[in-house]
Amino acid sequence: MSITRIVVGNSDTYVVIAAFNEAQVIRGVVTEVAAQGYPVVVVDDGSRDETAAHARAPGVTVLRHAVNLEQGAALQTGIEYALRRGARHIVTFDADGQHSVEDIPALVAALATHDIALGSRFLGKQVVGASRGRKILLRSATALSNRMSGMKLTDAHCGLRAFRATVAPALSITQDRMAHASELLRKIHTSGLRVTEVPVTIKYTEHSMRKGQGGFQAIRILFDYFFRAS
Amino acid sequence: MTTLVALLAPLAAEEPSTAVPFSEQPIIRVIMLSGLAAIGYLVFLRRNRLPFHIMTVFALLAAGAAAVMFPGATDDIAHYVGVGRGVDLITYILEIAVLFVLIHYYTKFVELQRQLTQLTREMAILKAEVERVTQPQTTTATATATDQ
Repeated sequence: MSITRIVVGNSDTYVVIAAFNEAQVIRGVVTEVAAQGYPVVVVDDGSRDETAAHARAPGVTVLRHAVNLEQGAALQTGIEYALRRGARHIVTFDADGQHSVEDIPALVAALATHDIALGSRFLGKQVVGASRGRKILLRSATALSNRMSGMKLTDAHCGLRAFRATVAPALSITQDRMAHASELLRKIHTSGLRVTEVPVTIKYTEHSMRKGQGGFQAIRILFDYFFRAS
Repeated sequence: MTTLVALLAPLAAEEPSTAVPFSEQPIIRVIMLSGLAAIGYLVFLRRNRLPFHIMTVFALLAAGAAAVMFPGATDDIAHYVGVGRGVDLITYILEIAVLFVLIHYYTKFVELQRQLTQLTREMAILKAEVERVTQPQTTTATATATDQ
């Protein structure tokens, strides 16, 4: 058993990470987050590689889906676990290393006056390594999402966000697959939560680009949003 | 049913078709009857279902067999409800039936998916809780050890 330096004061902010076949990078991501004293909940979404084993570290709880249910379902599992453990704030964080742990304090600080804080790639800070085509895709997705959700946001589908545990039931994800981001925005809007955006830095690495969502998946997400809503 | 007929009426063809004698189409009829018989046999094998279901399926199969033996009868029924040909009437009914079955199974599929998600989620959380209690992690190890 190793001794880890734990930063005190962050222990009621649970960081939920949904991971699918991320054995290569998951260890680096979880240790970085856990080092800041945040309890980390990794949901291994039925990976076929050693994601679960690589994610095990002090301060990290690994949940494992017996079958792959996709990202929305995995996040919801992690959120429910965090709630049962008495979380006050919940942060969702991507497993592929594109988010920065340095952005978490600003998100959590925003919860003092808001129910939910969404990370935004386009609010001041720069997007590192994204292609021109990708930026256009993201901006189009945001414009469409704003029309559907009735809100004015600068970035609709950033996976880095924080919310109060008390509003978690209102945000409960039923979209197992990728349409959960749009579902979240709709629920924020319909339940009248106080939402704010916080600038975050996204690191587009070769790894995260490969795992990311392309234009073709956007069509599938739209299909899910409209036809698989329950 | 009346609305269905009203909807279908304009689609009806004008000229009535003629019934075909059995001797002129033996091959297709043998194929159709064997198919119906095969379905009947499969249903009979799965007779753990309600007798009502079985009887309904057999009644439909019998109607199908009757339509094969007396093709003119379907034309008569079609004319009666305002459709030009028996084949058209059967097509319309089939379209409705296929859509109904499709939506029924899609609804079931979504529900099953939801249940699978719920089940998998509960299992994942339960397993993590069991692990937490039985093999405490580094940070809580000391506290738990003194508890025991």
